[in-house]
Amino acid sequence: MKALKKSKNFLSLALLGILFLSLFSFAIPLFFQSKAYADEAAAPAAPVMGKDVYYKNEGPVSGPPAPKLKVGDYPMPNLPGVAKESRLIVWVIGQQHLYFGSFVLAVPIFCMVIELIGLLTKDPVASKRYDQLAYDFIKISLTAYSVTAILGGLLIFTFITMYPGFFAYLASLFRPFMHIYALLFLAESGTLYLYYYGWHRMEEGFLKWVHATLGILLNVFGTILMMLANSWLSYMMSPAGVDEKGQFLGNYAHLLHSALWNPINVHRIIGNMVFGGGIVAAYSAYKFLSSKTKEEKAYYDWMGYISMFFAVGSLIPLPFAGYWLMREVYAYRQQMGITLMGGLLAWLFILQAVLIGSLFFSVIYYLFNGMQRMKGAERYEKITKYIFFGVTAAFLVWLTPHTLVMTGSELKAIGGQQHPVVGNFGVMSAKNGAVNTMLILTVLTFVIYQRANKEITVKWKNFGNAMLFTMFGVALANNWWLAIYGYYIPANVRVGLSVPQVAGTLTCLFVGTAINVAMMKGAKSTGPVLWGTISNRSQFAIFALAVSFTWLMALMGYVRSSVRLFWHVMEIMRDNSPWAFTHPIGFASNMMSVNVIIFWIFTLFVFSLAELSSGHREVPSMEDSPVAKTAGRHGHAIAGASE
Amino acid sequence: MPIELILVEVFALFLFLAGNYFLKKVYGRGVSKFFQGVLLLIAAYIIFKYIIFPPIPAALLYTYMGLITLVVFLLLSTTDQSWNEFKDPIVKTLEGGSPRFKTIRMVTFVLVPVLAGYGSYNYMYPKYQEPIELRTVHPAPPASIQVHGSELILQKARSPFRVNEKGDYDEKVEDRYLKANPFDDKGVAYLKYVREGGEIFFQNCHFCHGDNLNGAGMFAFAFNPIPANFTDPGTLAQLQQTFVFWRVAKGGIGLPREGFPWASAMPPWEKHLTTDEIWKVIEFEYWHTGYYPRTWD
Repeated sequence: MKALKKSKNFLSLALLGILFLSLFSFAIPLFFQSKAYADEAAAPAAPVMGKDVYYKNEGPVSGPPAPKLKVGDYPMPNLPGVAKESRLIVWVIGQQHLYFGSFVLAVPIFCMVIELIGLLTKDPVASKRYDQLAYDFIKISLTAYSVTAILGGLLIFTFITMYPGFFAYLASLFRPFMHIYALLFLAESGTLYLYYYGWHRMEEGFLKWVHATLGILLNVFGTILMMLANSWLSYMMSPAGVDEKGQFLGNYAHLLHSALWNPINVHRIIGNMVFGGGIVAAYSAYKFLSSKTKEEKAYYDWMGYISMFFAVGSLIPLPFAGYWLMREVYAYRQQMGITLMGGLLAWLFILQAVLIGSLFFSVIYYLFNGMQRMKGAERYEKITKYIFFGVTAAFLVWLTPHTLVMTGSELKAIGGQQHPVVGNFGVMSAKNGAVNTMLILTVLTFVIYQRANKEITVKWKNFGNAMLFTMFGVALANNWWLAIYGYYIPANVRVGLSVPQVAGTLTCLFVGTAINVAMMKGAKSTGPVLWGTISNRSQFAIFALAVSFTWLMALMGYVRSSVRLFWHVMEIMRDNSPWAFTHPIGFASNMMSVNVIIFWIFTLFVFSLAELSSGHREVPSMEDSPVAKTAGRHGHAIAGASE
Repeated sequence: MPIELILVEVFALFLFLAGNYFLKKVYGRGVSKFFQGVLLLIAAYIIFKYIIFPPIPAALLYTYMGLITLVVFLLLSTTDQSWNEFKDPIVKTLEGGSPRFKTIRMVTFVLVPVLAGYGSYNYMYPKYQEPIELRTVHPAPPASIQVHGSELILQKARSPFRVNEKGDYDEKVEDRYLKANPFDDKGVAYLKYVREGGEIFFQNCHFCHGDNLNGAGMFAFAFNPIPANFTDPGTLAQLQQTFVFWRVAKGGIGLPREGFPWASAMPPWEKHLTTDEIWKVIEFEYWHTGYYPRTWD
């Protein structure tokens, strides 16, 4: 038996080693210079040199120029109505592939984190609970993985048949990366299957750590995969590694590392985590609403809370990554930046504002509903209306457009294009103040949630409360003051004000939460968290959160893609198809909504498949182990359970 | 003033709280949750419709009211007790459990379709207003433009008249002379350029953009869209000087593809003014409004 166990360990380590070495496969082409394109045709003595459009260095022309396509080069499907526009078919399939791709990249991150928490949790019951949670979700991701692969294949066929000229050009540049992409996909599939099917076989001791390492490896593969796919679209937005004719200059590192590649990578990794958290939270809500027993309700309530926490935790750094991306867009081409934020696509940012506001409302609503699970939370009910009032006032400012939609008579009544009162809310200074107010009040809601069933007993209770009160007060005052001050200073200084505003918000988030946690030390419980007693209404807030994320992804993906206007590859390869125009906002929004609906139908199908595979089974206990109870650590319980 | 609006909202909130507190003190119970919701909606409508002046456009009013309706619903459903109290009169009305609620149900069931019908009629009734157009207010500029035979690269060009006492380009020169008198003969060169820009403005631009630069000149309302209001923080203050130069030089007719519906009546001023005159007008506009041009560093 011992020998068998040893050989198992050895095999596991060997397998891990091989997988680890395969990580470096993506770098292979970077060690090889591409053969000069000219070599393929009768090899002239000296290669023709070209100048990189982004890096500005010289390099040997090693590829064909970007083709100048004509209308006839774009096959038009023989379909009725708008379906003739092959761009719409690519749009739908591309968006669906992206959704599921994001889902299968995010869920393993979630599972990896949850599994590690389970490993590090001392209470065996709670540890089992976390482990089961991670397992439940990786099972869902397995089905989603197949759907992603199918959609990916479909997307390639769609490109080949509907945009042959463009795709041939892109493939000529990125051919080696596309091969690596396929190999990485295989490696990720293998790791995922090992991770899932080996879950129960690797449940104990050292093997459990091996399993957790597999989870990390799975995420590394997934992230590199995503980065390779990102390089194709970032090349389309901000080409590099080619000359002004689009001819490859032999340097793969330059081709890969275009101006927007890293900002897009970072923004997408974080965005995926938010999205994945939202989807698993929606799954929890779905299970909660369809639960038959108290135990199931309790488990899925807890699952929803953890998922929501993960999604919202990931959401906090996302705007900073978005800000960086937008800054890099401006730095790359001012015209692109203005088209996005002030020009053709500016109205879509108003839609984004509405969706972001709805995220805050969903979170706050969920937390206040969540307090219903705890005895003693009634003390804080009276605060609800003030928080809602503050967030609403900020949201009104946040969604007010600068240029209003109005009739001729309304315009005359106002006396101008901008309203003298609410027009002031349409500029960045006001928006920064508004969004930080919403963030600070959301953090405050969380602080209250943490205290809901606790009586603080530390000696420095009053001092701690005063510190928190001062911190939040100063952060809000600083935020509003800077928002007003921003109207009176130059734009380049005003842009810098967002830093102290955000610093105040983040201080409340990290320092405020830390102080609050410190004050909870030895706190007297006013009652356990009665998992499963949260209202059904709160679950719809979770659905709203997940749908908002989905819609946001469709919206901002469209914005990022359509900012190229009539270029396949910015300033290098023109889009000469019959539909090289930007759709009206209404049409684009309807397309996004159709995509969101299709995705959710698919997702419900994936959820129900997961049900079919597992059938009815026992959920993990939400009751703490006796050891934990006596230590007074967790205070978990289910409704109706004996105290 | 925007601050006044926020103060009105805060005042309305405290009026509600004080009223409810008073009712509890005197009658032992406050306003029921259902009527709290109704009153909040009415109060919000009054503020947005009648207290904000000039009145906000209907599209924005509907957006605001939609949000307030959602928030009221969320607020009243945060706890089971509050939600049940809110639902109670609605459920009782639907059930018609007592003569009083039967009457309310009858009135409601007559009134709701009538109101819906009236709303539909109003919506469908032909109106003679021109249709609403969504405009691209700040279309992206080209990388460079040709004006009077020379090329101007928008991301690099600078105003030749935004200069300090030594004659060097100085972004902050405006800051030092905001309160200075441009008609002072001993004034610095920058102020002289501002004054000359002002003369050009009042000879050519103020008919539309107004003598206060607020977009309400004597011809302003003959146009749709009306001329830009430079005193608004969302116009000059958001733009680089080269962007403004491009718009002044090329006018409405020079709007790019994304600048639809291309309805701007602004003439292409390069046909009437020299390059220097356009730069001086722009300097005057920034100095007069006190705004600073957007810069990149």
